[in-house]
Amino acid sequence: MSAMPRVITAAAFLCALATGAQAEPLRIPVLVPITGFLALEGTSQKNGAELALRGSGVDFDVDDTATSPEIAVNAFERALTSGRNREDVVAVVAPMLGTQMLALVPLADEFAVPMVTVSGTARITELGSPNVFRFFPGDVVVKAAHARFAVEELGAKRPAVIFQTTAYGQSGRAELDRNLTALGHPAVIAEGLDVSVKDMLPVLSKVRDSGADALLLHLHSGPTALVVRQARAMGLNIPIIAGSAMHQPETAALLEPSELAGVCAESGASPISETNPDMLAFADAYRAAFDREPDAFALGQYDGVRMLLAAIRSGAKSSADVREYLSTQRYQGLAMTYASDGKGNMAHSAVILCYAGDSRVPAIVKRYENLTGVL
Amino acid sequence: MSAVLSSLTRRNRLTIVAVAALALYALFFASSYDQRILTLAGIYVIMVLGYQFIFGHAGALSLAQGAFFGVGAYVTGILASQYGTGFLLTFPLSIAGASMLALIVAVPVLRLASHYFALATLALSQLLLLIAVNWVSVTGGANGLPGVPPITIGDWQATRGTSLLLFVWGIAVAAMLVARWQLNPLRVAVFTVMRDAPLAVPAFGIDPGLLRLRAFVLSAAFGGAAGALFVHTNRVVSPETLGFGIMITCLTMTVVGGRFGILGAVIGALLLTHLPEWFRGLDEYYLVAVGVLLLAMVVFAPDGLASFFKQRRIPASPPGHAATGIEENATSVKTGVRVLEISNLSKRYGGIQALDRVDLSINAGEIVGLIGPNGAGKTTLANIITGIARADSGSIGSAGFDLTTATPTAIARRGIARTFQTPQLPDGLTVHEAVATAAANIGNTANKASSISARATTAIATCGLTRIADARCGTLPHGLRRRVEIARALAGAPHILVLDEPAAGLAPPEQAEIAEILRTLAASGLAVLVIDHNIEFLRPLATRLACLDAGRLIADGPLDEVLADDTVQNAYFGLVQQ
Amino acid sequence: MLGAQLALNAVALGAAYALVAIGFVLVLNATTAVNFAHGESVVAGGFAAVALAMLVPAGSAIPGIILLPGVLVLTALLGLAIAALAYLPIRNRPPVSVFVTTIAFGIIVTNGLNAAFGAAPRTAPALLGTGTIEFLGVTASRQSLAIIATAALLIGALAFVLQRTQLGRQFRACAQDPEMARALGIRLTRITLLAFALGTAFAGAAGLLLAHQFFVTPSDGAGLILKAYIAVVIGGWGSLRGAALGAMLIAFFEVGVASVSSQPLAEGLLYVAVLLVLLVRPDGIFGEPQRLRA
Repeated sequence: MSAMPRVITAAAFLCALATGAQAEPLRIPVLVPITGFLALEGTSQKNGAELALRGSGVDFDVDDTATSPEIAVNAFERALTSGRNREDVVAVVAPMLGTQMLALVPLADEFAVPMVTVSGTARITELGSPNVFRFFPGDVVVKAAHARFAVEELGAKRPAVIFQTTAYGQSGRAELDRNLTALGHPAVIAEGLDVSVKDMLPVLSKVRDSGADALLLHLHSGPTALVVRQARAMGLNIPIIAGSAMHQPETAALLEPSELAGVCAESGASPISETNPDMLAFADAYRAAFDREPDAFALGQYDGVRMLLAAIRSGAKSSADVREYLSTQRYQGLAMTYASDGKGNMAHSAVILCYAGDSRVPAIVKRYENLTGVL
Repeated sequence: MSAVLSSLTRRNRLTIVAVAALALYALFFASSYDQRILTLAGIYVIMVLGYQFIFGHAGALSLAQGAFFGVGAYVTGILASQYGTGFLLTFPLSIAGASMLALIVAVPVLRLASHYFALATLALSQLLLLIAVNWVSVTGGANGLPGVPPITIGDWQATRGTSLLLFVWGIAVAAMLVARWQLNPLRVAVFTVMRDAPLAVPAFGIDPGLLRLRAFVLSAAFGGAAGALFVHTNRVVSPETLGFGIMITCLTMTVVGGRFGILGAVIGALLLTHLPEWFRGLDEYYLVAVGVLLLAMVVFAPDGLASFFKQRRIPASPPGHAATGIEENATSVKTGVRVLEISNLSKRYGGIQALDRVDLSINAGEIVGLIGPNGAGKTTLANIITGIARADSGSIGSAGFDLTTATPTAIARRGIARTFQTPQLPDGLTVHEAVATAAANIGNTANKASSISARATTAIATCGLTRIADARCGTLPHGLRRRVEIARALAGAPHILVLDEPAAGLAPPEQAEIAEILRTLAASGLAVLVIDHNIEFLRPLATRLACLDAGRLIADGPLDEVLADDTVQNAYFGLVQQ
Repeated sequence: MLGAQLALNAVALGAAYALVAIGFVLVLNATTAVNFAHGESVVAGGFAAVALAMLVPAGSAIPGIILLPGVLVLTALLGLAIAALAYLPIRNRPPVSVFVTTIAFGIIVTNGLNAAFGAAPRTAPALLGTGTIEFLGVTASRQSLAIIATAALLIGALAFVLQRTQLGRQFRACAQDPEMARALGIRLTRITLLAFALGTAFAGAAGLLLAHQFFVTPSDGAGLILKAYIAVVIGGWGSLRGAALGAMLIAFFEVGVASVSSQPLAEGLLYVAVLLVLLVRPDGIFGEPQRLRA
């Protein structure tokens, strides 16, 4: 008998706890690869998100997704179901590794949580999920700019393509093929390379033998620098238009400025090349916070998270509100204006940067806006 | 209830309590995330249980377990995501696919030793990974294939959480039962002999090639099953499932938990799936912490954390239960009947004529001593008789069968057993276990564990070892190890026993004991060939003496006559006296 | 001319892989221990060079040879740590335990470097300056020549030590029969520590040389040990010339075969070739010089 009041007290206490939980701050977990072969790009992604979230009043935890879908799903489940209230999570910063995104999409749909990422892999926005939002121009966009610049601006008639046999490389290669063919100049040679390849002479000698008049790269940071250096050392002086890895300051740091002469690259943006005050402020804040140079991945993720914060400022309280905001609103970010194309592709413009040969800071030579991928 | 509990050993009670606590936690207190990590652990338990067959029991450093896992993953991943094939079909196909691969590569690969085997299995794995990454149209390339459905059987579906956890652990328990059935204590002992005393295995009628094949294919089947469950858990199949990382994870789990036994697999898988999760708070240093703890655990428990618990052993049955196996077989051949016929046997090693047209025969119930100076070819003859070496020419026959080109296994099954100059006994096995490994191979009668154990007990009793049946071989003095070897030879119910220097290094009382055992055996009809150059040991024992010199048989006859022979005196005693 | 250029590049790459492999073989010959942290030791050598170069005022480019002694000392200390923490405590236990303790050590090094230096590829100063030398239409970078020369020098020196010196005999004695070696008055622990320090310092030298030519990132270790392991096994477990030949074989496929097919195909053909070699020679190309199997 005397137990009854205690049960009631306990129940009341639990109710109080439950309502108290409603007052918890909103959360945006940051799930990015900071170890393994994609750690360089993943750390930029992390830094961009972190810079935007610091002092925003939104709670965030950084969790490593390493290199496998398994660990990405672990991190996602942990962020959503372990310990704290699931409802507090209004969105997730999701890894830029395409394979991991493919594994996370069904989960995000089940939990109805929007994912904000800078992954370029074309496939992730083609699965029909309402929860994927990509704040970096996808391969559909940047590879169109990549191919068009080579053919239309540099007059390439016999382009050669070297791509990485990773998720990043294979997705970009498919888009490059599609675009070059549509432009009437399909690649005369397309070669895949493992990331561990050290000597680039075999592939470069095949490029030379093919009579190529431009070399399009779609490689990670280290291999990009190796190819550029070795191509120049062997006197292969055709224009090189690299993938976005080239624009990362860490890649340029591996090469002498003279080796960079005649090298261009596609990217979503180039924070270190811009001179407008907002971008300069971003770059300074980034350097101060992380002691590194900012790149387009960091900027894209920064813009993406800033759009999430804008959604919250405008009254979004749940993941559904945030998804609604991301799918319907335009957002003026530092790199560009973002708006969904209905599939979650938010970024539709790309830039081409070129190095003059006297510095490791590239100049933006061409901007491509509103690339839809329809050829 | 309490009666049931008290009948269990302390270890079993502990296990039941631990399992119950873990199950309670997993089902009622764990978050969806905790359940996911436990689900992954269950999948790795299956993979590690499989790896224990080849890596633990067979002792072969296979680096293909990741490949089998990946094949299982891709079979399920491709069929389920591209063709909508159901779990009831894809799961068996994943197991079959991995097993088939193991069968195909086994022929060229399994004969390789240690690191060469490791490299071959590594090359195979890397090849498969390369195919998965570059055959984009079928595998989806490096991105892999999304859209793998959850496990679905009829209307029932296991997407995540409790249902998937229960299903995966249900399969893990089934895998444990299969492992337990395949690894009865006797077969574990046989594997131990194969690892630690490889020479002895074929000599007791056990085919090591078949054993290794069985272990390899089982490991593949378990790996394939784990891979299939893995893709259903991650909903995507990608090259990481074939990558070296998964292989290293499996190897690490097996070493940390234990190379043998279910408990080791469970501890290793549970610990290593949780370890990185526990340290996530350390941000970019969390994997450093994982490495430190991993290092510490292996230094602390090099044989695996499960080694702190006792393993299953073959209980030695009391002597009263002894079967009459030996007598049956031995007396089935009548004393005086010719049981071994060697004629015109020759063997060359490089430039040396090890055996030169040797003729020798042995009758049932006879003890033949084979003497000769060092290098005369005595051990070569023993090796050829038991099939370890093969003759260049000549023939060996026994009881109407031509054994000239037979394998050691076949020869052992025809009833020819041997002991070795250096006893081939694994340190870790008990006397009873070591003897039982040979008792398992009498092909005809029912090979029930109880009858095998009984035959071993009889053989042990015959050699006067009953009191030390449960002692580890590694702890025994030299003289006793010799007797254990004889007991092991007898356990296979042979009718011919070949002993290679059974008295070497023994004190006279120990020699006498062995002589007594041999006399008893001969009296019951066993043919005994004793190789030794200790005449004092042979003089009261041998009924006949043969003498080899530089590969030629220079004398064969009654003991006194041979010892008196001039050629023998010159070749043999002349040398000794120098 | 392309053929000659490819041949030179293949030899330079093979020399680089051989450099990675020989420290591994040295430890193997002295202790039978399989040190799977060896790839990470090479990476640590690369980062030691990067870190030492950062100590020098910016702008003043110093040649790698000035950094070499510092790199050797740092990596020798790392080798002592591997021996003391991952090998000596479990020396008499199942050899597979050492696989895992050294793998764990590698995890610590990789992720420690990743946390301390970041994941970006880095480059270290060239050993004797950059630039190329042209000879009969073939271009050789000074660094390639430095790698070939260093590899030849170290392999020669190691072969001499192992086969002709008292130390080499002590190494072999410890590897083949530790109890007997102890009975003969050889200090087992000291020899073990020496072997690990030397072998890891070799890795450090390789790391310095490779970091300039091919850059270095914290996660490179796994790929390097994979190639070293293939080279060592295919050549004949523990054989020095076998490891050198194995390294050249890998480079031949990566440069030569890749130039007439494609890189993924060449890699696949390398593994097929490895399987075929094992089919014909189950003990490696040169067989085993002595019983060193763990």
